Amino acid sequence: MNKIITVENLYKSYGHTKAVNGIDFYVDEGSLFAFLGPNGAGKTTTINILSTLLTKDDGEVIINGIKIGENEDDIRKSIGIVFQEGVLDPLLSVKENLETRGSFYGLTKDVLAERVEAALLVTGIQNIASRKYGSLSGGQKRRADIARALINAPKILFLDEPTTGLDPQTRKRVWNTIIDLQKEQKMTVFLTTHYMEEADKADYVVIIDNGKIVAKGTPSFLKDNYSKDLLKIKPINSSILEKNLNSRNILFEKKIDIYQVKLENSLESIDIINMNKDNIESFQVLNGTMDDAFINITGKEIRE
Amino acid sequence: MIFSLVKRNLKLYFRDKTSVFFSLLGVFIIIGLYVIFLGKMMVSYTESVIPENAKFMMTSWIMAGVISVTTVTTCNGAFGIMVEDTALNKLRDFKVSPIKRWQLVLSYIISSMIVGIIMSLLTFVASEVYIYLEGGSIVSFTAFIKIIGMIFLSVFSSSAMVFLIISFIKSQNAFGTASSIIGTLVGFLTGIYIPVGNLPIGVQTVIKIFPLSHSGVLLRQIMMQEAVDLAYVPEEFKLFLGVNFEVNGSILSSFLHIAYLLVSGVLFYILAIIVVSKKRSK
Repeated sequence: MNKIITVENLYKSYGHTKAVNGIDFYVDEGSLFAFLGPNGAGKTTTINILSTLLTKDDGEVIINGIKIGENEDDIRKSIGIVFQEGVLDPLLSVKENLETRGSFYGLTKDVLAERVEAALLVTGIQNIASRKYGSLSGGQKRRADIARALINAPKILFLDEPTTGLDPQTRKRVWNTIIDLQKEQKMTVFLTTHYMEEADKADYVVIIDNGKIVAKGTPSFLKDNYSKDLLKIKPINSSILEKNLNSRNILFEKKIDIYQVKLENSLESIDIINMNKDNIESFQVLNGTMDDAFINITGKEIRE
Repeated sequence: MIFSLVKRNLKLYFRDKTSVFFSLLGVFIIIGLYVIFLGKMMVSYTESVIPENAKFMMTSWIMAGVISVTTVTTCNGAFGIMVEDTALNKLRDFKVSPIKRWQLVLSYIISSMIVGIIMSLLTFVASEVYIYLEGGSIVSFTAFIKIIGMIFLSVFSSSAMVFLIISFIKSQNAFGTASSIIGTLVGFLTGIYIPVGNLPIGVQTVIKIFPLSHSGVLLRQIMMQEAVDLAYVPEEFKLFLGVNFEVNGSILSSFLHIAYLLVSGVLFYILAIIVVSKKRSK
């Protein structure tokens, strides 16, 4: 597959703070790429460098075949960015906003009009096109932001925490819009997030912490390598279960009346259950999640 | 591209009713002060020098000042959009688009001039209505054309000066403070609250250096000529009211006033562009 973004040895510091401390990765064309990390890990700095907003201190970045630092206007024409906070004008309608920002790309009047319509359609906000941006709800604003980023029909769409601060239902709708763009418009989507369930749906995940990449791979690779399956047993008689587990040197953790056993793979649970068959009130086997993988990799829980 | 940015800036200015109001606040204060306190006093004083048409003359005097102040305060109001874009981080969206910084800056300057011209023309119309209601007459056609020309020149000069001041400002709070200071100070610096002749010599010099006071002088000459033939008004009285400026013992000609406005405007723009391009973020 074609690599649409390659990053090598990227460095950026603010004074003594090393925001990005030597990272390498690449993004396949047409993929959904998630950049995962706690706050202050360097996600936004990286996205700002890739989108030509910030200059790098060192390293090489190639976007769509063009090196950053050269011909930046050509890069800018091929990317769309959704910032964490809205950048549209509250006193202008959604459509006016799109027309103004669309005019930056040297399109003819007809093409621009088509692009505005297409962007409104894809994001599903035709019905609020004439409303002032400032009067929209959080989810509507976010979709208008995405429409803005689509106005130049970009090859790569950058989204910095696109679903943060939205209620669960709106989050899902915004997320579906993003997925549609990738699947149907074959757009490369590069997003930062701290929602595990979103990272879980990406084609490729890079986890960054303290400016360094700590793990990368597909979601299933990360889960297989960094998280363990879990067996939860609710026994009829606790002491018998404890004695049984101890006699076989099986490590467990007791949470109130539930016993948790970490497994190398889920098949191991069969033996343990068989062995205690008569002493089990209920049990559950859980697959490793991105959450576990993340905690195991970074040593910290994700923070809002 | 620049055209649609200008369109955006104009919409943002005119749709924000409070910013329109506040950019005219200085003007309202002057008119209020004149109508309530200063007017009667100045008219009766003038009557003692020139008995005929004293009221018409003094209303024209104050309105000439009001128009020149409007050119500053409204240009300043329009530059509020530039401050807001910087302060609220909206610039990021422009920076990641294929537009040049100079195109963006030029759009702010052009929109500020358009706002200045529109608002000053409106103020001019309103002041003619006021003069008429106060028993004066509407300006002649030649005076009308001259006043329009003066508004353009004055807006050019004001927008340059305001742009230079605003180019140092990064936050909306600072902008609000700067706006109130500009709005208040400009009334003094153009010799409107108090006639120039009433001020100490040092302050008079400051006023003469301040470019906009020259637009006040020219507008007064044009508008007051409608009420009385200024040639017959004693020179001392004209100097007292700031209808003429005397520098080194000689009266400045209209040509010099215009040249001073143009040259200072160009100079301010050059300085401001240096400041703005130095501020380029990395």
